[in-house]
Amino acid sequence: MENMIEVRDVKKYYKIAKRDKGFAAAAGNLFNRKYETKRAVDDISFSIKKGEIVGFIGPNGAGKSTTVKILSGILYPDAGEVKINGFVPYKQRKQYVKNIGVVFGQKSQLNWDLPLIESFELMKFIYKIPQKKYEENLSLFSRLLDMEDFINQPVRQLSLGQRMRGDIVASLLHSPEIVFLDEPTIGLDVVAKERIREFVRYMNETAHTTIIFTTHDMQDIEKVCDRLIIIDKGRKVYDGSIEEIKNKYANVKTIELLLEDGRKETKTFDVSVTPMNAVMEALFSEKNIKDITICESEIDSIIRDIYEGRVILDNLEAEGN
Amino acid sequence: MGEARIALQSLKMSFRTRMQYRVDSLVATLAVFIRESANIIVIYLALLKFDSINGWNVNEMLFLFSILFLTYAFVVSLFADLRDFSRMIREGRFDRLLVRPRGLLFQLILNNADLIASVGHGTLGVLLFLISAGKVGIHWDFATILYYVCAIISGVLIQGGMFIIFSSLSFYFVETNSIREILYWNMRKFAGYPISIYHKLIQGLIIYVIPFAFVNYFPAQYLLRKPDMANYNEIYIYIAPLVGIIVYLAAYVFWRVSVKRYYSTGN
Amino acid sequence: MRAYVEFAIKKFQDKMAYRLDFFMGIVNTAITILVYLCIYKALYGDAADIDGISYSMVATNFVITLGLSNAFHYNEMFLQDKIRDGSITNEFLKPVSFILRLLSENIGEGAFKIIFHFIPALGITILYTSLCPPKSVLGLPVMFLSVALGYLILWLISFIIQTWSFWLFSVWGIITIKNVFVSILSGTLLPLWFMPQALRNIISVTPFESIYFTPVRIYLGELGGREILSALAVQVMWIAILGVIANVFWKKGVKKLVVQGG
Repeated sequence: MENMIEVRDVKKYYKIAKRDKGFAAAAGNLFNRKYETKRAVDDISFSIKKGEIVGFIGPNGAGKSTTVKILSGILYPDAGEVKINGFVPYKQRKQYVKNIGVVFGQKSQLNWDLPLIESFELMKFIYKIPQKKYEENLSLFSRLLDMEDFINQPVRQLSLGQRMRGDIVASLLHSPEIVFLDEPTIGLDVVAKERIREFVRYMNETAHTTIIFTTHDMQDIEKVCDRLIIIDKGRKVYDGSIEEIKNKYANVKTIELLLEDGRKETKTFDVSVTPMNAVMEALFSEKNIKDITICESEIDSIIRDIYEGRVILDNLEAEGN
Repeated sequence: MGEARIALQSLKMSFRTRMQYRVDSLVATLAVFIRESANIIVIYLALLKFDSINGWNVNEMLFLFSILFLTYAFVVSLFADLRDFSRMIREGRFDRLLVRPRGLLFQLILNNADLIASVGHGTLGVLLFLISAGKVGIHWDFATILYYVCAIISGVLIQGGMFIIFSSLSFYFVETNSIREILYWNMRKFAGYPISIYHKLIQGLIIYVIPFAFVNYFPAQYLLRKPDMANYNEIYIYIAPLVGIIVYLAAYVFWRVSVKRYYSTGN
Repeated sequence: MRAYVEFAIKKFQDKMAYRLDFFMGIVNTAITILVYLCIYKALYGDAADIDGISYSMVATNFVITLGLSNAFHYNEMFLQDKIRDGSITNEFLKPVSFILRLLSENIGEGAFKIIFHFIPALGITILYTSLCPPKSVLGLPVMFLSVALGYLILWLISFIIQTWSFWLFSVWGIITIKNVFVSILSGTLLPLWFMPQALRNIISVTPFESIYFTPVRIYLGELGGREILSALAVQVMWIAILGVIANVFWKKGVKKLVVQGG
């Protein structure tokens, strides 16, 4: 299958004015500004095939948002090439965005004071959606996302989960071929998150929509995505399947200890380095242990370890691509 | 065609939004109307005492003011998002427009109408026009009506163009409200009165830099022919209906150049 | 007392942090003065005086009134915002009077504006226009007293309307309308000398005349010894009346808040 998204050696640097503290320094800065360069995206490459769902994760400030902005045509890269669906996003903005949908989880595009349906109507005109297709999509989406009850209520009265569902529908009414979901589950409860995940999967399976999904919630990635790209400090540090990263770290075990004096401790061991029985022996000889739980390595803690540099990821990058 | 549907839907949404807070909208509209009337009341009271200001009597003054209010009513219903553009950039809402398949200025112009300001200024403008238009000796025939309509359109374009230029500055500077406050809103304060009463420097500013003189003073001069017109070149009153197009085109070019900076820096 | 002085000083210093505001304030004040002086000049034309009032008296009245009205202007949505976001209840827990704290902060802001907006703008103004000097040096302290009383009158009117936010969804509209009334009826835009007699008569039984016009007349020497005393007495009377009204609204509003829990 052909590549839907092709990203080659993309770089994006920001110049940030340095501010020194104090009045004299502030006055000096007026005339002679010093800049430092922040490498928001530092040489990232990947390609995504039509119909893939790719999860983007990384700590805050890692460059996820900047990458999504470049892909959706909001920012020019300083270097490198992006080709999506046959377009260069930031050069052919109007034609390109006809076929994409973007959800910014933190910035709603709905009219706060009016019912959802009014914002949807506006989308119909903006994207020139034929009436028949509009009605089909709207009834399908509102059934899948259980929106019938609140579609006529002013948005300000909706819960965060309901509003997010509305935002997703507003971005998908024109049946885009590519969808960028930038933290669509942020701040939602478990039920609301689950509903959105199911919907995203459904859209991908039935309409073969290519989806890029950024999140901080590993459950999102596990339940929705086929593939995972981890970005840290502007660089891609992992690109591959979720199974693969799990297998890689299957040997990493977390052990929770409840001590006699009531304190709790957690220890992480790589059992391929120190066998489990040696670990146990050491623990029981050192501490007064009341209870012990051995945790399967959760993707969550693996990722945390990667961010914090506790697990060294040599040769992973090469394998992923 | 599609554009008209978007415009209509946006207008409907602005209207329905206001209708959510009926009483508050009504009070706010009334407040705008009364606030803007203050200057009119003052000039009216003053002219009860002084008869005229540089040869302009009370009705002529009201006519001069009416053009300012009428044009502004259109300006805020079209260019409200550009008036508040620096906030839009700061809150990151401009990104949304970039991922929609429509022209950026088109979206900014049609997305949002400040109906409260529009109705407040518009009502006052119409009222002043009705009071004064019959008493200032204008012979309303086809030519004068055509000139008047063109002058109003031009006045809207001049002010809209200036909003676009000040908005474009947001791509270069973080804080643009103060420069706009000084240049635009202060000039608007000046523009209510015959510009001939001011210092030459201010006249220069208001004719050539922030061309409010072409919004109301020169069009009013075409229709009223007051003696203070002798201070200016006759050509100004004939080109007044065209200045809007020139300012707007210049603003459009400046916008196109400036918006490129957003793509490279973001907000 | 010490605490309230601190509030005022704190606010004064806060304002100093915004250098752009400071520059803007001077420019805007100077430009507004310029516009109106041009208008008065044009209205006067060649006349030396109108009804015994000379152009420089009008200019002096305008400059003083505008300077004071700028200084007397502050964020009047403060109480509404506090009520809306519920933080007003925290204020009641503090061991200081909320009303006096608000007043001290507003005074601090006013002092800042007089020193950093009005005096520089005044400096610019006297470069191109001659203003009347004070009638007597002795009149100046009396005028300052009268300015302080005028400030309290305006502050109380504003506060009364602000307390309506206990009952109304938004007081923005009413505050705007109030400000129009104040700017016209207190003579900010057109001196009260030139108002039609019928309107003058109405204004004379309202507190508006006492806000700016009384201090200006003391400054210009329009009032004699006895007249000054009675003008000051009228100011004090208005403060008393408005103070009682403000107190009633405030008490009722707070009660409503406590009963309904915001």
